[in-house]
Amino acid sequence: MDVFEAIKNRRSIRHYKPDIVDDKTIQTVLEAAHWAPSWGNIQCWRFIVIRDPKIKTDIADTLSRVKIDNEWVENAAAKSIKQAPVLIVICAEKGKAGCSADGTPVTDKGDYWFMFDIALAVENLTLAAHTLGLGTVIVGGFDAVKAAQLLGVPEGYAIVTMTPLGVPERKGQISPRKQLSEVLFKDKFNNR
Amino acid sequence: MEVLEAIKSRRSIRRYKTDQIDDKKIEAILEAGRWAPSWGNTQCWRFVVVRDAELRAKLTDTLMKIKLPDKEIPNPAANAMNTVPVIIAVCAEIGKAGAKHGPGGGGVEYATDKGDWFMFDTALAVQNMVLAAHAQGLGTVIIGAFDAAQAEKVLNVPKGYRVVTLFPVGVPDQEGKAPPRKELSEIAIKDKF
Repeated sequence: MDVFEAIKNRRSIRHYKPDIVDDKTIQTVLEAAHWAPSWGNIQCWRFIVIRDPKIKTDIADTLSRVKIDNEWVENAAAKSIKQAPVLIVICAEKGKAGCSADGTPVTDKGDYWFMFDIALAVENLTLAAHTLGLGTVIVGGFDAVKAAQLLGVPEGYAIVTMTPLGVPERKGQISPRKQLSEVLFKDKFNNR
Repeated sequence: MEVLEAIKSRRSIRRYKTDQIDDKKIEAILEAGRWAPSWGNTQCWRFVVVRDAELRAKLTDTLMKIKLPDKEIPNPAANAMNTVPVIIAVCAEIGKAGAKHGPGGGGVEYATDKGDWFMFDTALAVQNMVLAAHAQGLGTVIIGAFDAAQAEKVLNVPKGYRVVTLFPVGVPDQEGKAPPRKELSEIAIKDKF
């Protein structure tokens, strides 16, 4: 699939078929993620591939509930995680991206460059999945500390995000985007 | 270009030709950025396309020097920044990505222990943009080690917004090297860490 086509047609998928995703496909998706650039080529990302339904359910339970019409309901992505055959949890080694060799942050973003580097990899992952006919939805609203306990993530690493991976059961909705003119400036900020 | 090929063959480019770039190609890059997913579709990214030579030079001056044991050397990207016709400065609106509810009065309450997700969401857009550049035969190198506060002054970035990254866009004058990647077995873990 063409790059531009993939970028424009990728959607966040919240409904999955139970169809199995084979190991080779998962490897292709992770390799795409792994080819992302990173701060000083540090590659702070780590991927946990979860197929075990019990672990998937436990992780789904760490998702924050959302308020709809004054009622707190289960996050739609929690159901997606239970439905999809595979959950990929993406962790970061802390104190590397954005830091000097001794672990000191070098910019005003502190050590939060792991958020940036992880997202570069995650975008590759979602695009690669899409070209293989698979859906993803990037989940951020969950209790990362609890999820780290469940998955035995050691100190020095943080869980950043996760996505179910599976065959879409239905098409994702198009989230309307701001016009390019709303987010684009020439030479200086606010100069249109 | 095919997606997986683009992902695997993209390199960080530090040597460029001085060739001009068609506006249409730049627009295609920005369009790719715009289609990235984001927290609650908040789209906190803002793109400043810098073509003005004086501003490009001022941005180049914000790059941090590389500290070696015995001396400091200029950032290898500095030369690139002065050669290319276009630098894209990616900014973020603060208090949107990762926030619990929409824009509230007073302080923002964030939903997770990561606080503001602006670093994450801008990077999703940046990866789309570097792939879109590569698919059109253009090179980029994502720069993080610069004085963002100084760059914000140069670009008149208002309060509530921050500059996250800068990247030159130009015609490559070299084949980028593929820095070695860790083996997949080093970074992929089954079921538990």
